[in-house]
Amino acid sequence: MTSFLLRRILAALAIVWAVSTLSFFVTLKLGDPVATILGPRASARDRENVRRYYGLDQPTYVQYGRYMARLSKGDLGMSYRYRRPVSTLIAERFPRTLLLAVMSIAFEVIVGVALGALAAARKGTRTDQTIMAGAFVTMSLPTFITGKVFLLVLAYYFGLFPIGGYGVTMLDHVYHALLPALAISLLSTAAYARLARNELVEILQAEYVRTARAKGLSEPVIVVKHALRNAMLPIVTSLGLSFGALFTGAIVTESIFAWPGVGRLAFDSVSGLDVPVIVGCVIFGSFGIQLGNLLSDVAYAFLDPRIRHG
Amino acid sequence: MTQTMAPSDGRAWRRFKRNKGAVLGAITVIVIALLALFAPVLAPHDPDMPFKSRTLTGAGVPIGPQREFPLGADPLGRCELSRLLYGGRVSLAVALAATLLLAIVGTSIGVVSGYFGGWTDTALMRVVDVLLSFPFLLVCMAINKIVARPGIWVLFLVLGFLSWTGLARQVRARTMQVRSLEFVVAARALGASHSRIIVRHVLPNVLSLVIVLCTTLVAEMIIVESVLSFLGVGVVPPTSSWGSMLQESDPLLRTVPRLLAVPGLAITATVVAFNLLGEGLRDALDPKA
Repeated sequence: MTSFLLRRILAALAIVWAVSTLSFFVTLKLGDPVATILGPRASARDRENVRRYYGLDQPTYVQYGRYMARLSKGDLGMSYRYRRPVSTLIAERFPRTLLLAVMSIAFEVIVGVALGALAAARKGTRTDQTIMAGAFVTMSLPTFITGKVFLLVLAYYFGLFPIGGYGVTMLDHVYHALLPALAISLLSTAAYARLARNELVEILQAEYVRTARAKGLSEPVIVVKHALRNAMLPIVTSLGLSFGALFTGAIVTESIFAWPGVGRLAFDSVSGLDVPVIVGCVIFGSFGIQLGNLLSDVAYAFLDPRIRHG
Repeated sequence: MTQTMAPSDGRAWRRFKRNKGAVLGAITVIVIALLALFAPVLAPHDPDMPFKSRTLTGAGVPIGPQREFPLGADPLGRCELSRLLYGGRVSLAVALAATLLLAIVGTSIGVVSGYFGGWTDTALMRVVDVLLSFPFLLVCMAINKIVARPGIWVLFLVLGFLSWTGLARQVRARTMQVRSLEFVVAARALGASHSRIIVRHVLPNVLSLVIVLCTTLVAEMIIVESVLSFLGVGVVPPTSSWGSMLQESDPLLRTVPRLLAVPGLAITATVVAFNLLGEGLRDALDPKA
C-alpha cells in the first residue's frame, strides 16, 4: 500500500511538473509582457527596469530555472494586473470555490444515489423509466444554459435566491452559493443516478441479496443496508474524478453567478491577458485534477480489499 | 474477408431501428443538419444585417416574433431566425470538424499505442496523462484569446487537438483486445506486415467503437464551442454561433427571455439528439449487448 501510494504521488508530481514546463515555454512565446504591464506609452527606461524586475532580460534557461525554483516553493509569480502574488490571489479565492464544490458534491451524491436506488428498487416500472429518461435528458443539459435559466426563473422572477454575488457573512455565503451549486450539480446528479441504478440492479441479483430476501428482510432494508453499501465503491471513486472536473466547471458557473472564486479569477485573467495568473490557474487546476485522481485511486484501493491486498 | 467482432450490419441495423430513442435522435440530427446546410436558402434575411428602425423599439428593445421576423429580433436589431440558422452552421461545422480531427488523431495514437505496446505505448500514454491534466476549458480559452487572428479555424484546431485523449485511451484498450485474437495472431504467423494487419484487421474492429464515441463527442464539442463563444473567447463578431447568440442576449436576459430560450433550446435539442443517437449506436453495435 505504501509503495503504491508513493509511486502514485510521484507520478502525479511528474505530471504537474510537465504541465508547468509546457505552460512556461508556451507563455514565453507570447509577445512582450512589458507592454501589458506598462501600457504602450512607457519610456524605454521604464521598460528596461520592468524587464529586469521580472527577470525577462535573462536567457531562457535561467528564466526557466528561476521559475521552477519559485514554483517548488509554491510561488507562482506576480499578477500583472493586481500587482500581487498569484498564489495569494488563488489562496484568497480558493475557499469560495471549495464551498461551491462541497455543496454541489453533497447534492450530487445524496440526490443522485437516492434517485438511482429508487429506480433500481422499482426496476422496469414507470418510476424507473421516468427517472432514467429524466437523467438522460438532464445529462445533456449544458451547465451554462441551466445556470442562466435558474437565474432567470428562480432569482429574477420568483426572487427565491440572490441574483449573484457572494454575500457578507458565512450563512450569507451559503445562501448565495445555493443556486450556483444547484446548477453545477444537476448534470452530475443525473450521472450518479444512472451509475447507482446500474450498479444496484446488478448487485440486487447477487446471491447474498437472495439470501437476505429469503431471510424475510424487507426490500428497503435490503437495498439500503446490503446493496447500497457495495454500490458505493464506483460512486466514491468517481467522486475523486469529479472533484478535479469541478475546477474547470467553476469557470462557467462563477462567471454566470458573479461568484468571486478561482474560476472567476481564471476567466478575468484570460480576458485581461494576465499571463502569470493564467499560468497559475492552469497549474493549480492540473494540481487539483491530479489530487482528485489520486484520491480516487486511494479510495479505490482502500475500499476494495482485493486491490489492497493484491 | 475481414473478420470483425461487431454484429453484422443487418443485425445492428435491426437493433437500431427497434430503439425509438435512437431513431428520434437520428431524425433530429438529420433535420438540424439540413437546416444548417440550407441556411442560405431558408434564412429570411441577411444574418448580419441590422434593421434597427424596424426591429428595435424606441427604448432599443428588440421586437418579438412577427410575420417578417418569425423569431423576432436580436439586441442589435438583426433577424433572430436567420442568426439561429447561420449560427447552427458555425456551431455544427466547428463541432463536426473538431470531432473528425480528434477522431483521426485519437484513433491513430490509440491504435499505434495498443498495437505496438512497449516504449511507444508508455510514451504516448504519458502524453495523454499530461494532456488530461490540463484544465481543458481554461487552456482553450487562453489559446483562443492569445492567437492573433482568432476565428472558427482556430477554434476547430484547438478543440480537435486538445480533446482526442479519452478516445485514444479507449481505442488503445480495444486494439489490445483485437491484437490477441486468433485471426490476428494467425495473420502475423503467416507473415503479414504490421501495416497490413492494422489496416485489414485492427481498424475495422475499432471502427464501431470510434463511431459510437464520436457521436457523443460531437455533442460535447457543440457544448464547448458554445461555452467558449458565450464567454467571449469563441467566434468573433459579427459571426454568429449559438454560443455567441447567448452572449449577446445576456444584457437583455431579464426583459427578453426569448433571446435565451431560442439558442438555448437549439443547443439542448442538438446535444440530446446526438446523445440519443450515440447511445442507440452503442446498443446496436456493441458486441457484448
